Amino acid sequence: MSLADLTLAEAAAAIRTRRLSPVELTEAVLARIDEVEPRLHAYVAVDADRARAEARAAEHGEIRSPLHGIPMGLKDLIDVAGTATTASSRVRAGHRAEKDSVVAAQLRAAGAVLLGKTHTHEFAYGLTTPQTHNARDPSRVAGGSSGGSAVAVAAGAATFALGTDTGGSIRVPAALNGVVGVKPTYGRIPRDGVTSLSWSLDHIGPITRTVEDAALVLSVLIGQTEVPDGDLTGLRVGVPVNYYFDHVAPAVETAVRAAVDDLAALGAEVVDVEIPMTRYLQATQWGLMVPEATAYHERSLRAVPGDYAEDVRVLLEAGELMSAGDYLRAQRARTLMRREWTRLFETVDVLAAPAVPMTAVPAGQETVTWSDGTVEAVSDAYVRLSAAANLTGAPALTQPIGTDPDGMPIGLQLLARPDEEAVLLRTGRALERARLEAARSEMTRSKMAR
Amino acid sequence: MPSGEAGSELAPDEAARLAARAGLPLAAARQDGVAAVANHIHSVVAVLRELDFGDTPPASAYQVGEDSRVAG
Repeated sequence: MSLADLTLAEAAAAIRTRRLSPVELTEAVLARIDEVEPRLHAYVAVDADRARAEARAAEHGEIRSPLHGIPMGLKDLIDVAGTATTASSRVRAGHRAEKDSVVAAQLRAAGAVLLGKTHTHEFAYGLTTPQTHNARDPSRVAGGSSGGSAVAVAAGAATFALGTDTGGSIRVPAALNGVVGVKPTYGRIPRDGVTSLSWSLDHIGPITRTVEDAALVLSVLIGQTEVPDGDLTGLRVGVPVNYYFDHVAPAVETAVRAAVDDLAALGAEVVDVEIPMTRYLQATQWGLMVPEATAYHERSLRAVPGDYAEDVRVLLEAGELMSAGDYLRAQRARTLMRREWTRLFETVDVLAAPAVPMTAVPAGQETVTWSDGTVEAVSDAYVRLSAAANLTGAPALTQPIGTDPDGMPIGLQLLARPDEEAVLLRTGRALERARLEAARSEMTRSKMAR
Repeated sequence: MPSGEAGSELAPDEAARLAARAGLPLAAARQDGVAAVANHIHSVVAVLRELDFGDTPPASAYQVGEDSRVAG
């Protein structure tokens, strides 16, 4: 196994005990980038010299955090002083960030090593990241908008990465590439110095290979304390009876229900729950995001409209035609949703559901046809099960729980009450450990049988 | 997809006029596409008119001294 495939937790433990040098680790990840980038295109830019210099500094310095000496990628909406934040757009040609975003400064202070900037769907306004290819099957979509970050982590081309999530943009690509993505509580991670898609809905969060790794990144970014291991006795896990399993691929539903069974076997109490106001989710999401995105881009849409990709440009232009009434109805609907979801979380501690209704589709596929004949845009389908957590601000994570018959990853989504990231991480970690232990004993049994 | 109220569809030249009013001139070649997307967005968000909001304030209602962590 290459050092590039170590989990963050494994690498951090080895660096802490000086069994692994940040320079060796960074070299292994840079070598992996050279190997996979020609077919995956996860990065906008890699600065190997800078990464080597930071790794050397980490090797000699005092160990400052679990991220010390760990090579990582940042979605290219996140400012790093002295480098371009391209947003994967020609609109940003010649850009240079004057100072670090708050998160980049936090990671720098924690001793993390910056490999480079990862691709986003242009300005985060889309769910596929067309310039990047799925890590499991390059003929399929990466998902988006944090496609580069998810693909880099899945391929060993970063030990962890940060993404942003306005309607699912961390969780969707994480699920489609078989990695873990966490969208923390709204406002929990400062957005200063991060290019906005929609101020009301934008979140920053980690993409990692395990839930344990995500907890380590969050320990630096939000001061989350360690996640206790152990069983889930007393935890109430809500399983939606409506919405989250409608128009979902059979393999996805089967895998999610099997994961819920595993949570029950760990001691959780499984409770059926009704999801409120689902009819208004997409309307509220669009009513907030579309006018806010258009407002953010007001000047450049007039100055350099031809520099936007067509799919993004037409959305920004159409957003000019929305009324203040449309926007205010969405803001007021959000208030109603928050109330309803607060009530929902009086009866359960965690909600378990699919992250996305189907696995990664072939690149270029624009619609999906469900078994009842309903046709849905691929981007609408990918955002459909994610957006509620952006509207309510509740923390949500996705973690891999299996594959479909084509070998494409399936993601479970867990949601918790605002500021209860620890509950989310504990639940995900318990499932992850149980699955790992089951896989190990299966391997031992098959070895003994031979 | 929820449908907007009857007769609310924007024609391409109306979309162009509204865009111009917003300070965004739309070339003739763009008007059909922008009108189609604007009509689709309208059909999605129009469903919010069904809700009885009563005294519900917008989620964005201003709060003095709001936590600076959520700034921009």
